[in-house]
Amino acid sequence: MSKNPSKTGRWVAAMIAVIGLCAVFYNVVMATLPKGEIAEVKGYKPWPKETVKVAETIVVQDGGRTKPLAAYAGFKMLGLYGSRSMKIKDENGNVYKISPTEWVMDALFRPEFAIQEPTFRVDNAEVLQAIGLTTKGKRDRYSYTELEPGRDKLIELAKSYETLDAKKRDPVKTQTVDLAYNINNYQMLLGYLGFAQTGILLPDVSGKGGPGKVAFLSNVMMAAPEISKQLSRYNSTGDPVPEHIQSLLQQVTDAANFSNYGLFILPPSDPKNDTWRSAGNEIMNVMTGKSENPKQAIEDIAVLEDTVQAYGTSEKNFRNKLTEMRDRFDARAKSRGDYGKVNLEVSYYRHNWFLYAMIYFLLGTLSTLVMWSFGNRDRNKILSPGTVASWVTLGFTVTGLIYCSIAIVQRCLIMGRPPVGNLYDTVIFIAASSVGFSLIIELMTRRRFALGFAPIFGTLLIVLARRYEVGDATDHMDPLVAVLNSNYWLTIHVITITLGYSAGLLSAFLSCGYLLLRGLRLVGDDKSLFRAFTRTVYGCLCLTLFLSLVGTILGGIWANDSWGRFWGWDPKENGALLIVLWCLVILHARLGGYIREWGLHFCSVFTACIVGFSWWHVNFLGEGLHSYGFTSNTNTIYVFYAAMVSFVVFGVIVMAIEKQEKMNASALKKSSPVGSDELIDAEG
Amino acid sequence: MVFDFFSGLGLATVLLIFLGILTWLATLEQTEFGLQATLHKYFSIDKFYLVPEINGKVVPIILPSGYWVCALLLVNLILGGIARMRKGWKNIGVLIAHFSMVFLLIAGGVADYYTERGSMALSKGQSSEVAEDYFEYVVEVAEIKDGQPQQIHFIPGKDLTDLDDGKSRIFRLPDLPFDIEIAGYLENGGPVSEMERAPDQNQLTVDGYWLMSRPSEKKAELNTAACYARVLYRDKSKSPQPFILAGASFYPFTIKVDDRTFTFDMHKRYWVVPFQVKLDEFAATFHPGTRKASKFVSDVTRIENGTEAKVKIEMNEPMRYEGLTFYQASYGPQGAGPNDPLYSVLEVVRNPSDQWPKYCLYMAAFGLFVHFITKLVIFLMGSTRKNRHV
Repeated sequence: MSKNPSKTGRWVAAMIAVIGLCAVFYNVVMATLPKGEIAEVKGYKPWPKETVKVAETIVVQDGGRTKPLAAYAGFKMLGLYGSRSMKIKDENGNVYKISPTEWVMDALFRPEFAIQEPTFRVDNAEVLQAIGLTTKGKRDRYSYTELEPGRDKLIELAKSYETLDAKKRDPVKTQTVDLAYNINNYQMLLGYLGFAQTGILLPDVSGKGGPGKVAFLSNVMMAAPEISKQLSRYNSTGDPVPEHIQSLLQQVTDAANFSNYGLFILPPSDPKNDTWRSAGNEIMNVMTGKSENPKQAIEDIAVLEDTVQAYGTSEKNFRNKLTEMRDRFDARAKSRGDYGKVNLEVSYYRHNWFLYAMIYFLLGTLSTLVMWSFGNRDRNKILSPGTVASWVTLGFTVTGLIYCSIAIVQRCLIMGRPPVGNLYDTVIFIAASSVGFSLIIELMTRRRFALGFAPIFGTLLIVLARRYEVGDATDHMDPLVAVLNSNYWLTIHVITITLGYSAGLLSAFLSCGYLLLRGLRLVGDDKSLFRAFTRTVYGCLCLTLFLSLVGTILGGIWANDSWGRFWGWDPKENGALLIVLWCLVILHARLGGYIREWGLHFCSVFTACIVGFSWWHVNFLGEGLHSYGFTSNTNTIYVFYAAMVSFVVFGVIVMAIEKQEKMNASALKKSSPVGSDELIDAEG
Repeated sequence: MVFDFFSGLGLATVLLIFLGILTWLATLEQTEFGLQATLHKYFSIDKFYLVPEINGKVVPIILPSGYWVCALLLVNLILGGIARMRKGWKNIGVLIAHFSMVFLLIAGGVADYYTERGSMALSKGQSSEVAEDYFEYVVEVAEIKDGQPQQIHFIPGKDLTDLDDGKSRIFRLPDLPFDIEIAGYLENGGPVSEMERAPDQNQLTVDGYWLMSRPSEKKAELNTAACYARVLYRDKSKSPQPFILAGASFYPFTIKVDDRTFTFDMHKRYWVVPFQVKLDEFAATFHPGTRKASKFVSDVTRIENGTEAKVKIEMNEPMRYEGLTFYQASYGPQGAGPNDPLYSVLEVVRNPSDQWPKYCLYMAAFGLFVHFITKLVIFLMGSTRKNRHV
């Protein structure tokens, strides 16, 4: 093999880097941009920042815990719209960015704007064509107004599709059902404060034929005992209930139904009752006489009415009323011990830690490419370009790592449990731990390959985390199911297994790097560098074995305490066992001389497939007791397997080529002993 | 030569690869056929090989059965991983790790062979000292004297499960006026009225009913066994009386011989635990506003020889006592409303090797840790020279 790096190889490597970066940019940037034109919302006025800050900290009970409205809004918007930031413009062309809290506030207080906002992401225009609507692109976002004409047909179709077995529904049918649910959920927000906006129309009973009066629902609720008495009188005498009372009750029931779901913001006064209520719940409780504290319930509804009524007046007035409302419910929540870490959670979402971590990792990736292209040039100078680039890379990477770590720690504090409890948690934890491992490896080897891989790995994993978050659109800080309710085991078993995944992916990734390095002839025949790579990969595999074996047996001991058996051949258990077995295979095969340097790297790359199977693929199988990771997007994992296998194939080809060249070179040497040197030089 | 082969790294590598492939295929097949069926196919002592079936399609390769791969691995570990290895400071970590793996495999074998598993359902205030086995069905023959069953005879499951495909067996009951013959055992099935549905394979009909076989349930605990039986009277003047036994039936089959009453029943095997367990309180809590389970807790009292002890059994915290472990397994009834009374179902397990994996873990972790840290230190000490960067 020639001693000098190959120029073609470097160009190919550069192209791969550029393609990779473009793919990342595409994923990150394009996914958030609206497709097509920015939607127009006539007359839109942005919310004042101070008001938004108040609204963010309103406490809501959702998913089994109390959380700030900001968190609730974020996931609702993510689920319906696909991003946490919405761009709209008003009729004058001014562009505004709407945050999730503002989006929910529009739905609650300004439905006239909300219905024009492009809330609903539709991934396949066929869904809309089936209900008779005109469509924009294949994938686009539509407002409630645009979808309303087809809503009834949509519900009809969705009901019929729901009866089909979930596995038999094609994507269009599944999306139709999802869209119907999404519209339904959004309507619950739109109508939530309807009772406060329209009030109850008391028909005119004076006989003079004038329009009736509009009364506040809270006032009607105060009359509930009286209304009940009248109703039972009519019931006992058998006379029909007079129309004005019927109309009254119908309006009240309708108002309560519209506010029945949507937002559970009213904490019950009895601390033993742990389920919060919606406005609709309270209204019905009082009207049917079931409320344990009717006076407080009526006041709650009155406060909501005041806030809504204040919207039409000045901004300051509205903000004050909103603040009063928030403080009233917050105080009750705090006295019940339900308040949790609302302010910390609001701050967590405002800081958007993972976005910035990804940006720093991306910058680190760019400086890595610079660092690697300078290589060892002028390495004896103190400030050789390579050295400068390496320090810059280190800086960016460490900053990204710090951002990740702060985010993970904040999540632990908010959730009150160890960092890893569901699939999303594993992605961010693996991002942080693999960057951490890489930096430690760099400290031990000082060859700048681990240093370079760290930000690349970090970028890829944070991108994965963000895509998973959008796709799943559930709040991953919600409490865990009963079987996971053990901080002890979550710490020792889950973290060990996750670190094992991290180490396994790292060794595979390093081996991919080795194969590219050697295959594209980026450094010529640097045996010492290759050996360093190989020993690092070997060390990583040993670490993977240790973590996976300890983690798997710990899992078995935990399963023995939970499910009554140490090993149940559950898919997740099997996945972990596969990683252990594969690492053992590699180590024993190497000891027995069946694989050497090339073989080790091929096997190491394949480890990524095994980790992929164990970490992600078993969740798609939908079987077994580890049901807390189930998800349904299957194509990406096959693409990943294919990518890893193609690295192995590439490596095998390179190995074959090198072996061939070696044979040719030694044949040449044998055939012409005298002039051989010149010939070899000419070849190199 | 033989010793070299059985203790070699090559054999170890190949066996580990096979174990990996089997684990992977078993994971995929499980989703279709259920755990017990897959386990039986991939991992039972009486099978030497298997042919996998994925997504309904048979994959035409022959793989060795998991049980025998593990057995061979155990031999290889002992001969190669321990006996043949050089004993010295360099290898002490690996030796310890290998030893712990041998121990783990043995623990697995013990668990496989000796584990007993049953369920105990308790309503509030109810106490019991009997667990109902998860899988094994038995035939019970008893004489009823003064309204109580006496002289209870059990035919254990292992004497029944091979009686399919025309095989039959006579069980002698010397102290009773008859013997009993069993045939046509079904792992899962039940009686069907011939008016409702005619036998499709010429099955025997008794009293207007025949036994219809059903495919094995994915959760094997839900299987209900059944079989045909005949009473063979000692009094040769009476002809043998055929009847049906089914785990799914509610009432035992009763006969009268001379003034004596006898019952025949098929149910899951009961085993007695050496103390009484009484349920004081069971609570199932959910995360507020959701159907996600938060906690399942049974407060029980353990009564033994008059002494009482209060124990809390919940998910992740079982009760371990006298070689038995009680787990919070589930509860019922299904679809209970928020104020309905619930009963708690505890799983009772007897497994002699219950704590062994923990010891294996300590040993393996220690051994690997020692081994790898040694290698790491050597690596770090050796690489202090300045090297070329990438």
